Amino acid sequence: MITVTINDREIKFDKAVTILEAARSGGIKIPTLCFFEGLEKFGGCRLCLVEVEKLPRLQTACTVMVTDGMVVRTETDAIIRARKAMLEFLLINHPLDCPYCDKSGECELQDLVAQYGAEEGRFAEGKRRHPESFDDPIIVRNMERCVTCTRCVRMCDGVQRASAITVTGRGDHSFVEPFSGGRYDCEYCGNCLTVCPVGAIMSRLHRHSYRAWFVEDEIETLCGFCGVGCSMILQMRENTILRAIPRMGMGINKGLLCARGRFGYDIIESNRRLTTPLVRKNGELKAVSWAEALGLVAEKFSEIKEQDGGEKFAGIVSPELTNEDNYVFQRFFRETLFSNNIDSIIRMFYAPAQAYFEGIFGQGITANLISGIGKSDAVVVAGGDPTKINPVLGLQVRAASGNGAKVVSLSNAAGLKRFASSEPVARSGSENFLYSALLKALIDTRGLPGRSGSIEQEIGNIKWPNDEEITQRTGLRKSDIEKVAEDLKDPKNISVIIGPDIMINNGLMGLFLIAAIIYVLDARIYLLSERPNEQGVIDTGCMPDTLPGGRPLEISSFREKFEQEMGYGVPGQKGLTLFEMFEAIGKGDIKAAYVMGDNPVFNLPAADRIREAMSGLDFLVVQDAFLSETAKMADVVLPAALWAEKDGTYVNLERRIQRLHRAKKSVGGLEGWQIIAGISGLMGSRMEYNSARDIWEEITRASHLYGSVSYEDLATDKSLWPYKGEPLRSGKWEIKIPEEVVEKTGHGCHVYPDRLLFHSGSFSRYSPALNSIQAEPYAVMHPDTAKSIDIKDGDRIKIAAANGWSIELVSKVDNEIRDFSVRVPNVFEGVCVMSLVDYGIEPGTGAPVWKLSDIKIEKVQ
Amino acid sequence: MQKFLLKNVDNPRSTDIREYRKSGGYKGLKKAVEMEPGKIVDEVKKSGLRGRGGAGFPTGMKWDFASRDPNFPKYLICNADEGEPGTFKDRHILERDPHLLIEGMVIAARALKVGRGYIYLRAEYPAAEVILDKAIDQAYKEGLLGENITGKGFKFDLSVHRGAGAYICGEETALIESIEGKRGQPRLKPPFPVNVGAWGKPTIVNNVETFSNLPLIIEIGPEEYSKIGNPDCPGPKLYCVSGFVEKPGVYELPMGTILRDIIYKHCGGIKGGGKLKAVIPGGISTPILPPDKIDCQMDFVNLPKAGSMLGSGAVMVFDESVCLVSVCMRAMQFFEHESCGKCTPCREGTGWLSNILERIENGMGRNGDIELLLEVASNISGKTFCPLGDGAAGMLLSFIKYFSDEFDHHIENRKCMVN
Amino acid sequence: MITEEIIKKIQQKKGDYPVFRSAIMSALHEIQNTEGWLSQESLYKVSGMLNIPPATVKGVATFYHMYRHVPMGRNIIQICTNVACMIMGAEKLVDLLKREFGIEAGGTTGDKRFSLVIMECIGACGTAPAMLVNDDFHDNLDEKRVMDILNGYK
Repeated sequence: MITVTINDREIKFDKAVTILEAARSGGIKIPTLCFFEGLEKFGGCRLCLVEVEKLPRLQTACTVMVTDGMVVRTETDAIIRARKAMLEFLLINHPLDCPYCDKSGECELQDLVAQYGAEEGRFAEGKRRHPESFDDPIIVRNMERCVTCTRCVRMCDGVQRASAITVTGRGDHSFVEPFSGGRYDCEYCGNCLTVCPVGAIMSRLHRHSYRAWFVEDEIETLCGFCGVGCSMILQMRENTILRAIPRMGMGINKGLLCARGRFGYDIIESNRRLTTPLVRKNGELKAVSWAEALGLVAEKFSEIKEQDGGEKFAGIVSPELTNEDNYVFQRFFRETLFSNNIDSIIRMFYAPAQAYFEGIFGQGITANLISGIGKSDAVVVAGGDPTKINPVLGLQVRAASGNGAKVVSLSNAAGLKRFASSEPVARSGSENFLYSALLKALIDTRGLPGRSGSIEQEIGNIKWPNDEEITQRTGLRKSDIEKVAEDLKDPKNISVIIGPDIMINNGLMGLFLIAAIIYVLDARIYLLSERPNEQGVIDTGCMPDTLPGGRPLEISSFREKFEQEMGYGVPGQKGLTLFEMFEAIGKGDIKAAYVMGDNPVFNLPAADRIREAMSGLDFLVVQDAFLSETAKMADVVLPAALWAEKDGTYVNLERRIQRLHRAKKSVGGLEGWQIIAGISGLMGSRMEYNSARDIWEEITRASHLYGSVSYEDLATDKSLWPYKGEPLRSGKWEIKIPEEVVEKTGHGCHVYPDRLLFHSGSFSRYSPALNSIQAEPYAVMHPDTAKSIDIKDGDRIKIAAANGWSIELVSKVDNEIRDFSVRVPNVFEGVCVMSLVDYGIEPGTGAPVWKLSDIKIEKVQ
Repeated sequence: MQKFLLKNVDNPRSTDIREYRKSGGYKGLKKAVEMEPGKIVDEVKKSGLRGRGGAGFPTGMKWDFASRDPNFPKYLICNADEGEPGTFKDRHILERDPHLLIEGMVIAARALKVGRGYIYLRAEYPAAEVILDKAIDQAYKEGLLGENITGKGFKFDLSVHRGAGAYICGEETALIESIEGKRGQPRLKPPFPVNVGAWGKPTIVNNVETFSNLPLIIEIGPEEYSKIGNPDCPGPKLYCVSGFVEKPGVYELPMGTILRDIIYKHCGGIKGGGKLKAVIPGGISTPILPPDKIDCQMDFVNLPKAGSMLGSGAVMVFDESVCLVSVCMRAMQFFEHESCGKCTPCREGTGWLSNILERIENGMGRNGDIELLLEVASNISGKTFCPLGDGAAGMLLSFIKYFSDEFDHHIENRKCMVN
Repeated sequence: MITEEIIKKIQQKKGDYPVFRSAIMSALHEIQNTEGWLSQESLYKVSGMLNIPPATVKGVATFYHMYRHVPMGRNIIQICTNVACMIMGAEKLVDLLKREFGIEAGGTTGDKRFSLVIMECIGACGTAPAMLVNDDFHDNLDEKRVMDILNGYK
């Protein structure tokens, strides 16, 4: 027990803390400037100087630890004089341009000077001049205002670990700069903006557009860009978002954001938003009233249902929408249309991967705290770059590395360069050789754990590729793999992070080998989640074969119990999975489709085949915030609200249920559930919801999983898996070597979707801010690949696939693409890389497995 | 008196290991390798040796802390970043008797069970780098560095790390940052380098002159050693004298030699028979002394009583022809230039003081400027991250304390008293 | 041009330290020794060689005063003007050099023969004033001696 006396008050502590923490815990305020919670201690600004008895000099409260019996004074005359002196020093060079500075009103220096003075500066000579830098589209740097607290650099180095900015020079010529001195070459997380205490590093997006005191309201809600589920605050005025900011310590992101979260909010305010329903008349989409649009949908759907029955419908939901939207959608499909044909894009990776791992290791096996990654002593990454797909989760991998963990990256993860202890990347298409070689090597170094005879027996049946074959196929040497096995020999607390690329051409075989590796490593599993509510889609029963809560609907006892409880019927036969639906549409077996918040003709593999199929539908309804490629084909387009305009819940990749809070009224869109309930009502099934809360309460009745989570529980730990219950460990603890689904042809160049840090899915293209960072797609490839096809960086090229489709774009040569694939982001209008690939359906999970075929690349003049 | 530290410097071939051996070199090491490491630490403690870099911290105590730390590897660093203006003593050893330093470092390595050492050499001494590299090479060839030193099975590797022009790197934690390849800014203490130093490992940093005392201590034993000089801080001391004396240069004298004797006895008095105006006794970050304060002993204990500090033992002598306002200004410009920028008072304050001094020197001084100087200096003093700012403030305060007339004259008459 | 030889030297220097990045100061010195200064490209190359973020390299390279960030002349006159040299007349020598070569401190002559750099103490206080021309040390300077010495640098 440590007893400290601060300003004559005794305070007791169990463990040593800094004087600053001690004082704050006792409600005693000590001014600070360079101190920032979560950043490395610095002690440079000297504002927190305090007197400590028996020590001759004033001490910095933010760095000195309390000791038993310490006597501290924080407000003596000498201290107040010192603080005033420090502020006077800072004002030597800091301009007094507060009337013009955007920071005014929320500037820490301004507040400190207001409190402590230096009312009159005695510095008579001219201030340091340094022109404001507008070289960057997002960040404006004003180094005249910089107080050299280095919070931004410590954030960038120590937390974001991007090290994109530095202090250059020294003394009173110290400036914060990116390497170029002008434009940033950085991750644009903007976390430097959060920590700058003055107006030295500011966002250009809202420059001079408002003052801090114009903010009328602050709404705490979730980011709508990925499955991490970061919390953030939307600052509002007159139904407009002024800016999105995090708050330190808040949410699972603890106040960090990524580029998409921080700057992508402007899609909400985009002038390309749909503001009115559209109906196709004489081949053209025309603006109509909601009544007319919903009436038409209800009429058409009723007609088809009566003539052909529910199985003639296809319903596509979206992991970008809330649980409430998706739940109501499945109820509409099951109750009103009597159809189980409900699925979504999560069929690509998240759903089959989770189902696969849960089948082996038990339900909830992927529900692990993101913060646990940073505490691991080893992290294995496969199938994607977590720092791009789920950037804030990616920071945990970097943090683990910083804490000394071994980080093994088995995929192209440029964001982990400098952090990975080994990075064996296999040639595209040969990943399974790498995985099996690694599995074998791990068994050699760690041994089999002996926990499941069944798994170990099946591992025994694996036909191991020989060293020669491995090297020939993967391009890796035996020593590369031995190095990984050596790194992973001793760790006890291992996280395995799996991204969507694992399914691309490896299918279940990839998952099988990774599952075996997880078994040998006794590791925790994390599934990267590209969209904010992939887990919620599963949980709300938006699957062709499961009810809300995840129980199989074909088991009649489950179904009957559900029907009894909920008062609506569910077809007894499971519906079609996403890709089965498209096959059926292509064959004319499905007549009408409702696409809620997705863009399948752009986002799914064989996109053009899907487009062709969909053009044959009798009736297509698309609900979206923008006129997407799919919406353009629709008979009825219904404008939807986006996440900042909604209440409701998302479930993140940890399976944590979190609440969205409506920040503003939509420009013209309605929330998904409102639209669906409207149509449903017109078709005779009344769904009487007044708010998202009403739906949540219905979901808790429908889902045994959420049964115990009240609306009030949503902000608490009770909304975290297993939701007050016991974790189920009903896994079979057995694996089967899967069949190969598609025949692998070609060992040349393959094209993959590039998953960007600055964009996600096909709607971030509507963000002017994100476009100002990256507005153009490019085909990125390794210098060797480029050389082999005689392409130089910046060439305009045409990539043609065996299926006859092609795209044209600019090449980018980058040695960080190490697997000799060509990567193209599937984001930008007119460049749909998904049109270049074909797939086969994995029968067990319905997941698409890509048929890799060689592509042809040629220069375009 | 007998020379220990400078005994070889006048021999033009002294950088060669054979010459060094001829004059008894590496005898201390030979003796040290027969001793238990702990015993060497004890002997250094007993000798009363205090660090010659400036702060005068007892070397034995530093070593004791380091040797108690259970973590390995440990690192040994020689601070050869002799940047304090007025100081050129270490350069003498580095360029003319490098093996003395190497021998001292190997003894320290043996005592502290260190396997890797660095000489942090300032880039302003390019000749020394060549000489040191050569001497280190020779020492490797003769089995005095590397594996199995003198056949006694201990290992010590040594190389030169070249600085690049930053006074602050003379501060040991800044020096460690710099060796690690970072911006040379001081670190928070605690933890102290003896526990958490270079690359997070226990690290012992000593000055060139400090290491150079070690062969002597081992050779003659701590009892004999402590008979040299002042009993409170014993041993031979290198004083470097510059400015207006007849014979400027580096003098090896017993610690505690009277400042007046250094100037008048050893250096032949004021140049051209001029009149002494002031002395800076320990490099420009130590307070200046007027002529009536020079009867004090030059050591870590007695100079503070006279109102200054021993610092690096760099005695700068000013005669009546020197304008002390310009000296003060130039010294402050130096501190401004060398401020690392980490803490507010030093970063902003040294520049401000330079500004005020420049306008006084240029005949643009204002009434109240002296008061302003005093206040700004006291706002820096005691509030900075590291001693650089304190040195700057203390220097200025001493100039005004003793020579305010000269400042007043500059302000009132808009010109210098002297020229 | 960063030659193979420089790269080899840098690789060697890495071995002196338990952590590669600590060889950064040596790497910058090696490049500066041949190129005369450190271009943005050179900093970027060091970043690649030592796996240090480019911005971090820049932060280090600009902290230390003897790394040069503009092209230098063939010979760099580094003259000390600190107190000991100042009181012995260094300022006069600086004025002479400025006059003689028509350059300011930090500048380079049109024919690239000389660059003039003002130094803090170079440890020659007993034999002040003093200067370094490239790596050569010269002390006890006066106006004539300075010009004689510089005549030897072409």
